Amino acid sequence: MKDVILKADDLYFSYEGEKNHSLNGLSLEIERGKKIAFMGANGSGKSTFFLCCNGIHKPVRGQLYLDGQPYDYSKKGLLKLRQRVGIVFQDPDNQLFSASVYQEISFGILNLGVSEEEAQKEVEKVIRDLEITPFRHRPTHALSGGQKKQVSIGDILVMHPDIMIFDEPAAALDPRHTRIVNRIIDRLTEQGITVMMSTHDVNFALEWADQVFLFKEGKVLAEGTPVQVFSDREVLRETNLEQPAVMELFDSLCRKHILSDALPVPRTLAQLEGYISEIHDFS
Amino acid sequence: MITIDRLCYNSKLRYVNAGEKFAFAMLTLAACVIGHSVPISCLILILTGILTVWKGGIPVSRYLRYLLVPLVFLLLSTLAIAVNVSAVPLDLFAVPVGKLYLTGSRASLFYALELLLTAMGSVSCLYFLSFSTPMPDILNVLRRLHCPRLVLELMLLIYRYIFVLFDIASAISTAQDSRLGNRNYKTSMKSFGAMISALFVRAMKKSGALYDAMESRCYDGTIRVLNETFPPKKREMALIAAAEILLYILVIWERV
Repeated sequence: MKDVILKADDLYFSYEGEKNHSLNGLSLEIERGKKIAFMGANGSGKSTFFLCCNGIHKPVRGQLYLDGQPYDYSKKGLLKLRQRVGIVFQDPDNQLFSASVYQEISFGILNLGVSEEEAQKEVEKVIRDLEITPFRHRPTHALSGGQKKQVSIGDILVMHPDIMIFDEPAAALDPRHTRIVNRIIDRLTEQGITVMMSTHDVNFALEWADQVFLFKEGKVLAEGTPVQVFSDREVLRETNLEQPAVMELFDSLCRKHILSDALPVPRTLAQLEGYISEIHDFS
Repeated sequence: MITIDRLCYNSKLRYVNAGEKFAFAMLTLAACVIGHSVPISCLILILTGILTVWKGGIPVSRYLRYLLVPLVFLLLSTLAIAVNVSAVPLDLFAVPVGKLYLTGSRASLFYALELLLTAMGSVSCLYFLSFSTPMPDILNVLRRLHCPRLVLELMLLIYRYIFVLFDIASAISTAQDSRLGNRNYKTSMKSFGAMISALFVRAMKKSGALYDAMESRCYDGTIRVLNETFPPKKREMALIAAAEILLYILVIWERV
């Protein structure tokens, strides 16, 4: 039995003044506590879907369900929804509205009606947990891209969401900050938070995700485990994605009968290297 | 402006209670305006100068350069007071120009000097505040003084987005430069216009995105945030009180 936390049923959505639907009969189910990657070209509806999940956009047709309950778009319902489903936006400059890190992080939790003392404790905890302390007194406009990202994650985390959505978190980050952000995301999963992330990086998706959704023109083109989805060359071609390097290499090693294709498909370079070093031991 | 912002975040007085700094700046400013005299203005200029440069750690050259900006304006405008055009020469100096004299009196020169120093003293009070207190802290003081919420929220957002839009503007103008957009006067004008209109569109888009992002954090029309305050220190408060009392005694003594 699947433990579904979020379900979308036949969603349609179009932006004002646009004829084409951004979401075109989108249906999917998200399992609790899983790491889910959303892939697809720009404009395939990932960000629009995220905004629907959070109740910012209301689909013109179709229904969203959280824990089996249909979305409640009343003021109170939205408050509850937005506490449980948080979005970390792609561009931190669109999210950070205050020049002070401390003010910024306290915004979300105060909106939930928590007392100031309680909020203070939560904000301090987030600042500690996300390693924001070294730059907590710097103004947000003087932070680096990665530091802004850390603060924008803190913004959401302070509200204790059940689902956290990351819209291309690695965009415009250097490798070091990408690692920091990924480590933070891993910790969220350990805490039982369901993480949904859009990314263009197939190698990362293969390694990280439990499940992959491939979007095309506002619909789910393919879904499944990363290995399942990335093995389907047809859908990869349709969405202009490349197969992850590790899988490609594994494939060609199998074709040459250097590795047995009975082995589980490796998801990381280290895993593949492990296979190869084992052969060496036999010969 | 952006340099002032950077300097104030590095000021040694930054973590002093913002209320203390605000009270000091405002009381001194009031004393300067009420006193309206050369000695008091000079005293205030020295006092705030010492505080900003020595206590705050702002480089002297920087500070003087910033003082020079209003000084140029003030010199030009007080010139009109010190120099008169008249048929009869006044006591201080007189340069004949045709039938008239370009002339000035001792009294008007003194008055101009007084005005100049009062204005500079007032500016130095505000510089003290802006070189030592980041904007969010000032806003917090204003909030405690019951300044209207709407004004404060606008100031908060505007302050933040000055930097965002400034970054975009400089990125656009760099891109224009790299395509010879500022080759001559005509292309510069055109590029500047294009930059402003692009910036406007970007600002509209940003504000939409910001609203979505705030809404997704349960924004309901009022911006509620926690403020980090640094507790006031008894010693500092006593010093400020002593300085102000002394200053006001001098002001009253001067006036009588």
